[in-house]
Amino acid sequence: MVKERLGMTIDTKRCIACNSCAVACKIENNLPNFNWWNRVMTVGGNHMDAPSGMYPNLEMYNITLACQHCENPACVKVCPVGATYKDEETGVVRQDYDKCIGCRMCMAACPYTGVRSFNWEEPRYHLEFSVGDSDVPGHQKHVVEKCTMCWHRLAKGLAPACVEACSARARHFGDLNDPDSDVSRLIRERGYQQLLPERGTEPSVYYLV
Amino acid sequence: MTEDISATPSPRASSPKVPAAKFGGRGINIGIAVAAVVTVAGLALWVVQLSGGLVQTGMRNFDSWGLYITLFMFLVGLSAGGLIISSVPRAFGMKGFGGISKVAVWTSICCTVLAIAFVVVDLGHPARLWELFAYSNLGSPLMWDIVVLGTYLVLSIAYLWATLRFEGGKGSERSLRAISVVALACAILVHSVTAWIFGLQQSHEMWYTALLAPWFVSSALVCGTSLVLVVVIALRRAGYLELDQASIVKLAKMLGAFVLVDLYFFACDLLTAGFPNASGAEVVAMLTAGPLAPFFWTEVVGCILCAVVCFVPRLRTSPLIVVASLLAIVGIFCKRVQLLVGGFQIPNIDMAGPLTPYTVTGWESGMAGAYQGMVYFPTPLEFGVALGVVGLGALLLLAGLKFLPLKPAE
Repeated sequence: MVKERLGMTIDTKRCIACNSCAVACKIENNLPNFNWWNRVMTVGGNHMDAPSGMYPNLEMYNITLACQHCENPACVKVCPVGATYKDEETGVVRQDYDKCIGCRMCMAACPYTGVRSFNWEEPRYHLEFSVGDSDVPGHQKHVVEKCTMCWHRLAKGLAPACVEACSARARHFGDLNDPDSDVSRLIRERGYQQLLPERGTEPSVYYLV
Repeated sequence: MTEDISATPSPRASSPKVPAAKFGGRGINIGIAVAAVVTVAGLALWVVQLSGGLVQTGMRNFDSWGLYITLFMFLVGLSAGGLIISSVPRAFGMKGFGGISKVAVWTSICCTVLAIAFVVVDLGHPARLWELFAYSNLGSPLMWDIVVLGTYLVLSIAYLWATLRFEGGKGSERSLRAISVVALACAILVHSVTAWIFGLQQSHEMWYTALLAPWFVSSALVCGTSLVLVVVIALRRAGYLELDQASIVKLAKMLGAFVLVDLYFFACDLLTAGFPNASGAEVVAMLTAGPLAPFFWTEVVGCILCAVVCFVPRLRTSPLIVVASLLAIVGIFCKRVQLLVGGFQIPNIDMAGPLTPYTVTGWESGMAGAYQGMVYFPTPLEFGVALGVVGLGALLLLAGLKFLPLKPAE
């Protein structure tokens, strides 16, 4: 059997920066306060939702930024205890909270600024009860965490929560090694960009342009 | 940190033939007491940091390392000098520096313990340290460093022990020489591997350069030699040991050469980064005129002044050599700050996005505000913990001077 390489395409022409994916991720994974695994970034001016340029020649679009689940991940190489590792079957870059010693080497090694987040204190929540899927591992103080590509959902044959929640249907998910998958087809048919391709990490997230 | 302390040789382990250390009096006792108090205070602050969380430090997701890792780099460098100065003459069969080698090695051992301690206080889960040995990822430069640093510490202790045995009339010169060669190789490796923690990361423009490893070796030689000079001149003044001025001058000349090599490497690096006027130019601008300029210019000016003192015969007086050494030590510390903070100062992805108190220090003023000055600055707690660790080093150093037979053999 050919190994999978699970990935995503995110259509920047369809994205309306509604932040639904970021919120869906936050709720699905019961993320602690201040912690966002998926963020909607503005490509344009110096502030969120601000265009660059001078009226009427304005330019602005958005990308959503989370772990790129690289084929050649910089984080996996540097983790001294193997707490962050690549799942051989799916190509998903995973994180073992129980193993993480909190050295933050992976955060320094990852070129995608801020996709890894550290729980700088005992996780706190706005709600008094947990939200999202009960199969999500509990969050721990002083460990690094990041997008899991909704590992708990993949196990049930479901797409990641962000893909499901995208109101503009800008996000697609699938196996990049399968030429017939939606993602492979979109990459073939549309122009795309990857983030920081010059760093050689071969990200599995493709931004359709 | 307890295992680090126990790793130091027991004061009674030495052979009775070795001249017993008789040094001290009130001064050193007061010093030991003060250092002990500082160490205990540091330990208490470390407990505060662990219980309340690393949120109390200045480190955040975008600048995930800070003062502790800076000092780790710095102390690995400081640890070099002593060992190299005492082992090079022995390894190559040259005339040594008049019996300072044991004191020099002892400073090395103390600095190595401190370097390890700084990694430990930086960790989120120090209780999981055992995993380093159970689940070692031997591909990680951090793992290489842990292995090499541990070996280096053991070798330094073995070297000191072998020297003491040899002076006590036991052991052969050949075995001592063999240990000194291995220890020397390990010293070079320890700096290279520390550099590779940074230098192999393609994620940070400033770090990713092949020059980093040799540069770390040269910086280590600069601050290591400086530390030995300061310590031996102070000890000579305190009457602990006698050392002719010729040896001091020899050391000072070496320091001058090391400083020039270090500056040369810096110049090469700046030119290579800046010349294409591409992304590296941003790094050069940040260092020379940006938020890190005070550290850059302190290093450059301090090192130049140090070289001047070391090379002009009239200026090579003991007080000026001490000043020059301190300038070099401060300069290399500034180098470490530039490297660590500078690596995080230029984010690869600087688009506007949601910021939270975990994202970056100074998040309230947006990305532009957070990166206006230094993206990272330590909090008082970090200074406190760091001071505590330094206190531990002072405690080890002074206790060693008091209890270990480190005096030159007559």
